[in-house]
Amino acid sequence: MTTIPVVYVRGQYNHLIARRLQELGVDSRLMPPSTPVEKFEAMKADALVMGGGPQSVRSLDALSEELRDVSNLMTKIKLPMLGICVTHQLMATTFGGSTNLAKKPEFGPVEVSVSDEDTILTGLKPSFTAWESHNDEIVSAPPGFKVLASSANCTVQAMRHENRNLFGVQFHPEVYHTPKGASVFKNFLKVVDDYKRA
Amino acid sequence: MSVTLEGFRPSSYLTSETARILETVGNGKAIAAVSGGVDSTVAALVAKRALGDRLFPVFIDTGFLRVGEAESIKTRLGDSSLGLKVKLVKAGGRFLEATKGETSAEEKRKKFRETFYRVLGEEAQKDGCDFIVQGTIAPDWIETQGGIKTQHNILEQVGIDALSTYGFRVVEPISELYKDQVRLLGRHLDVPRDLSERQPFPGPGLLVRCIGAISKKKLDLLKSSTEIVEQKLGPFNYDQYFSGVIENDFVKDAVYDSLEETTAGALGLPPSETRVDVFEDRVTGVKGDTRSYGRLVGIKIQDESRETYGWLPEKLRLAQSGIVEKFVDVTRVAVLVKEKRGGPPLSVIVRAISTRDFMTAAVAQVPWKILKDIAESILKTGDSSRVYYDITPKPPATIEFE
Repeated sequence: MTTIPVVYVRGQYNHLIARRLQELGVDSRLMPPSTPVEKFEAMKADALVMGGGPQSVRSLDALSEELRDVSNLMTKIKLPMLGICVTHQLMATTFGGSTNLAKKPEFGPVEVSVSDEDTILTGLKPSFTAWESHNDEIVSAPPGFKVLASSANCTVQAMRHENRNLFGVQFHPEVYHTPKGASVFKNFLKVVDDYKRA
Repeated sequence: MSVTLEGFRPSSYLTSETARILETVGNGKAIAAVSGGVDSTVAALVAKRALGDRLFPVFIDTGFLRVGEAESIKTRLGDSSLGLKVKLVKAGGRFLEATKGETSAEEKRKKFRETFYRVLGEEAQKDGCDFIVQGTIAPDWIETQGGIKTQHNILEQVGIDALSTYGFRVVEPISELYKDQVRLLGRHLDVPRDLSERQPFPGPGLLVRCIGAISKKKLDLLKSSTEIVEQKLGPFNYDQYFSGVIENDFVKDAVYDSLEETTAGALGLPPSETRVDVFEDRVTGVKGDTRSYGRLVGIKIQDESRETYGWLPEKLRLAQSGIVEKFVDVTRVAVLVKEKRGGPPLSVIVRAISTRDFMTAAVAQVPWKILKDIAESILKTGDSSRVYYDITPKPPATIEFE
């Protein structure tokens, strides 16, 4: 069985991520950001998914304690990782990109245009409807990452590291109103399977 | 704070939960707080499996119920198929007294919660019960802990010790479940479909659909408009449909000077063909995982243009998102269906949504002629002057108005 803990950062939909993964046959539950790396190893985690939350992550120095912990997990743990919403933004801040207040925030349905189907967005070209809820956004993706999708208001809707298994999405694949959300998780599970075999 | 369900199976859930209830309650007795909704009914039935005759179902008539609701629920739950012999406690006067004069949605909700548990505590003492079983589900404590809104049935998750404050301990048999899982469990427990699929009705009831300060006039209008909306939209199978009432007091603020231009631009109409009002009383929303207690914007499109352009769902959606993106203090947008000059200064807002787990919601595409029919019936009673349709998804709005 595949084990994928969800790092809980107090967003409204974090529990839904675990629920979606459970529906796909994954052993998944919420874990606090303060969980030590050794504990993830002891529970034989195969990957991590990080949820959304109400915080801003514009500067590494001004991070709340829990998001500093998440940022540390991102650099210390070498497992495949998927960041959603605020942890997508945190991935940018952590690896040298930048986030800021969005010129136009997004709430509810948004059309996401896929420019690169690489891995997590396989099968989702040319575009799909996703549910969003964010005031901040990634302004520039970090070095070594490539942008996979964008929307009218937001240029970095999805990104991945060029050669590591680090993925981020601004939209919420875990909610019912993102009908193709399950594809994103299934695509991520393929990455995890390949990683386990290697 | 943990979700440990491994792909939800009603039968195994029931087995483990009844065992847990027995362990908690031991040889004691418990009251089940029931409302006739699917959550509290299923919670009571799960507890009944564990406790049998040691469970006492209680229904509190808060005065914020729909027409004829208390009596019909008592009869319905007492059916042989469910076997919940309900004690009806009339406490409308106490709830009205406690919430009178409050305009803030959160204060109204907290006063309601306080009164609710005082009344329940008194009933528990009368019946010699040390425990209260309630139908709290996952979105209730997620939204309360997240500071989006205070759900009336959340105590221990926000640090209120029920035993020292109210004299009983709380048992929540379904607190880890979402609505669709509760319905599944309900069907497994042979709950009749009309109950297991019943649309949600908030614990504080019409209190949180009476936007701003509560008054008898607003409450009466809300009761009659709720009856009309439920009757006319019932056949359409929307996941939830209801109405709210708000006073026609409007904000005058330079911040909103460009609002008409933004709206007309998104609708592709000249500004002369639209009118936009910003209501004074605030409504609840959620933007970027944060509570947003903001303004309701009412759009009026001139009759001639509306007839020409039809119901315009896509353009109205763009207008709604354009307004909410640009004006940080706005959480909701509604479109005027019909108005009557010279009527009382109250507006009715109709809301219908599609959702599965109530964590996100889309606006239902109610046919325009049905909305017009509803508006005409509501205006005919002479108790309001405008009827709107709420065109805001969740997020940025919540499902309920407050």
